[in-house]
Amino acid sequence: MEPPPENAGLAFQTAEKIILRWDSTASEEAREKMIFEGDRGEVDRYLHAVDEIQRSMSSTSISDNEQDKVNSAIQIAMARLEDEFRNILISHTNPIETDSLTDPSSSVHSACSITAGAELDDDATAEEEEEDASISKGNELLRYNSDSSSSAYTSYRSTSSIREIDLIPSDAVYDLRSIADRMISSGYLRECIQVYGSVRKSAVDASFRRLGIEKLSIGDIQRLEWEQLETKIRRWIRAAKVCIRTLFASEKKLCEQIFDGLGTSIDDACFMETVKGPAIQLFNFAEAISISRRSPEKLFKILDLHDSLMDLIPDIDIVFDSKSSESIRIQAAEILSRLAEAARGILSEFENAVLREPSRVPVPGGTIHPLTRYVMNYISLISDYKQTLNELVVSKPSTGSRYSGDPSTPDMDFTELEGKSPLAIHLIWIIVILQFNLEGKSKHYRDASLSHLFMMNNVHYIVQKVKGSPELREMIGDDYLKKLTGKFRQAATSYQRATWVRVLYCLRDEGLHVSGGFSSGVSKSALRERFKSFNAMFEEVHRTQATWLIPDSQLREELRISISEKLIPAYRSFLGRFRSHIESGRHPENYIKYSVEDLENDVLDFFEGYPPSQHLRRRSQ
Amino acid sequence: MPATDYQGSFLGRISIRRNQVMAMEPNSHEQEVEDLELFQKHVSDRFSDLLSPPSDDSSPSDPLLSIAWLRKLLDMFLCCEAEFKAVLIMDRDPSQMTRPPLDRLVPELLERVVKALDICNALCLGVDSVRNVQKLAEIAVAALEQRPIGDGQARRAKKALNSLITAMMLEDKDGASAKSTERAWSFGRRGTSSTSAQKDRTAGLFRSPSCNMAKNWSAAKQIHAMSSNLVPPRGAEASGLASPVYIMSTIFVFVMWTLVAAIPCQERNGLGTHFPVPRQLAWAQPMIGLQEKIAEEWKKKEKKGSAGLLEEMQRLEKIGQSLIDFADGFQFPVEAERLEEVKTQVEGLADICRKMEEGLVPLQQQIREVFHRVVRSRAEFLDVLDQAGRLTAPTV
Repeated sequence: MEPPPENAGLAFQTAEKIILRWDSTASEEAREKMIFEGDRGEVDRYLHAVDEIQRSMSSTSISDNEQDKVNSAIQIAMARLEDEFRNILISHTNPIETDSLTDPSSSVHSACSITAGAELDDDATAEEEEEDASISKGNELLRYNSDSSSSAYTSYRSTSSIREIDLIPSDAVYDLRSIADRMISSGYLRECIQVYGSVRKSAVDASFRRLGIEKLSIGDIQRLEWEQLETKIRRWIRAAKVCIRTLFASEKKLCEQIFDGLGTSIDDACFMETVKGPAIQLFNFAEAISISRRSPEKLFKILDLHDSLMDLIPDIDIVFDSKSSESIRIQAAEILSRLAEAARGILSEFENAVLREPSRVPVPGGTIHPLTRYVMNYISLISDYKQTLNELVVSKPSTGSRYSGDPSTPDMDFTELEGKSPLAIHLIWIIVILQFNLEGKSKHYRDASLSHLFMMNNVHYIVQKVKGSPELREMIGDDYLKKLTGKFRQAATSYQRATWVRVLYCLRDEGLHVSGGFSSGVSKSALRERFKSFNAMFEEVHRTQATWLIPDSQLREELRISISEKLIPAYRSFLGRFRSHIESGRHPENYIKYSVEDLENDVLDFFEGYPPSQHLRRRSQ
Repeated sequence: MPATDYQGSFLGRISIRRNQVMAMEPNSHEQEVEDLELFQKHVSDRFSDLLSPPSDDSSPSDPLLSIAWLRKLLDMFLCCEAEFKAVLIMDRDPSQMTRPPLDRLVPELLERVVKALDICNALCLGVDSVRNVQKLAEIAVAALEQRPIGDGQARRAKKALNSLITAMMLEDKDGASAKSTERAWSFGRRGTSSTSAQKDRTAGLFRSPSCNMAKNWSAAKQIHAMSSNLVPPRGAEASGLASPVYIMSTIFVFVMWTLVAAIPCQERNGLGTHFPVPRQLAWAQPMIGLQEKIAEEWKKKEKKGSAGLLEEMQRLEKIGQSLIDFADGFQFPVEAERLEEVKTQVEGLADICRKMEEGLVPLQQQIREVFHRVVRSRAEFLDVLDQAGRLTAPTV
């Protein structure tokens, strides 16, 4: 109900006076002080004055001239309120307290304690570093890795939890809301959003800097070494969680506190104004990683990134739930899918790389090839990540599933592996191509025995690694494990044949006896030849194979025992039957150089991996 | 928008799926030459369209460097890119990529592609800053559409338009210049800010949103780097696959350069205007024509010191200045004649805002689409290179 004209006129004039007094373009004093920093009474008076002017705007009974005065007053008031609004916001714009910067769901990682004021350092846990160390750098598949026991894998899958904090104290929020209300109802919505957005956005930017979120271009990222990128990815994962779950969520809450109910979706508009840029900046990093060139060592960090982003998607959907923020949800989903694709692509890359790994220099002593170690460590880690990879890897390996007749790839019948997950099939395939590659390498040894020993060592290593990891074993399956075991046993047999058949041939009976005659019936010359051959061969074998290596002590023992079981009895029996013939002749020491004990001792040198120059234990005479 | 204006025999044979063996007769050399010629022709035709679009009464052509025109440019780019991929990857023996001259040219192209991706990101940010300008203009429109136009409206419009003009200037300087922030306040003219607290408050406020790329990243430098090594193939090479690679590289450079000239993005100072494409190349004529026109505008802009070449922004600036003058000399009430003038200008302003409101978000989406498409193509090229068994260059 409108007050009677005279009172209305008076009320308006009073209000107008107050507005004009605070016209910042008009007086020094008005410029120097801020209403909302001063006396609360003054604040109330001012706001009432604004309300009064607004009432006058809708009054019908005023002349054009008066309309002009009213409009003018409104504009002055709005300009003033805009400055007050900005001022309140700025006074309460401290970058988010660093205590609040811990990951809300940091139950998984050992809590990264952050000292106030310090930027989030890259305090990678020891576990993470060990994990990374077991994957070789770059594309060099030949890096010699030590056997790292499967480190405790820290999952990036955690339960989501949004944790909003109050960015601005509630009395300030109250003031902001009072101002916003009046600005919006006077039609100055746009100005309000602009001021709000620009101040809050710089607050978010400052928080970003504290979180260590860098602005890197795609070009920058392509140029960085992968190790540096791993560090940045780790940091990004931590920062992204805080950004989405705390920082952005809190900004959203603030918008709601100030603008909810003051108009349609104004809080959404202000929120997007504030965070759209920073959100894009945040995601651009993950996007750049997802499109970087694929190479095997990137797999696990990419999976980490994938998992953490997947974890965040529900929170992203909640925080960015309005229509205007659709593009952000879309971008996050796109990045996730690219990361998945990248992971699949890298797995493929890896398989190719294993198949084609071209080094030809034979590993001295026939021991474990660095490729074997690398691959087995790699797939061990893959089995750690099987939860994610089982979801991502849905198709069988693309090569080798048909009997292509291509000599450069092994054949494999996948039908035997029905019922296994695609990931498991991939792992088996990887082992198949590893062996295939190793077989190629084994041919570079000039000595066939060494080729077999090499294969035995390496396949045995594969078996040990599979047995040593329950996840891996479960995926590979005992059937295939049995096959592998058979393989290395067969290699052992092949080795023995290759080396010892001819040695033992020297100790055979046939050809030594001469028929007829009163003499013992043994050809002395043939016998001497036999002894000489045996000695030469054995000495050669001893000298050579002492430099060969079987790293696994049990396997080493077994093989030595197996050799001894054939060699010692044969020699003992030979010696027993024929030594008298030699000893009855001249220079028996030229022919009988080894006692049974000598042989037994010398066998202990086998596969010790002695350096070739080392003086071997002299056999006693 | 899908690419729909293929002509000739291409569409029937395009299948860009990898690992798919085409059950067609192997490409004879003749066929290859025909493909290359068709590609050239299409490129030439498309750029002709852009340079002097066929206009009829029902649909007047879009002005050069307007939002609608830029969207056409992007569409055309996508068409060319798709055709290029078909020419180079489809039905080809991957090992061709690892032989000269492709072994050098393809990795170079991929390097340019990475730069283009960053430019796309910068452009998206740039479109955001255009939206900011749009919102300021909308304030002025809202103010000046009121009747009667009073002191209040005039001041309000002036404030918004001053911020607008400042924002447009800001794009061409190095980001957060503290001086300009004082515009954002109603008080605190330059130098008269009394308290230091106020000074602190002004600093760093009115930062241009387009300056959110990495520090030291410069659109101008990226374009410059992209155009290095852009050398047309000579002699025997010109009739082989080196030719489409060169054409596509040129298109990349041209399109990115045009977009950077039009849309504000980080650090355009020093944007070159020389286009390293020889004039004799027939297919390049329309492109060169366009480039010259735009370059001329750019040079004019550098002299005047006014903001980017986006047609709507240019118009906005003009009308904005004029309305600022109006607001400066404002006296209530406004005489009828002047009012009519202002009314027309405000309608012009409103029209631009409308075009921006309709066109800017789709423009951004298109830029993102270009981004995605280019990422995908790059991945396919990298795959082919890897397939060929060798990594030809240490590019990432």
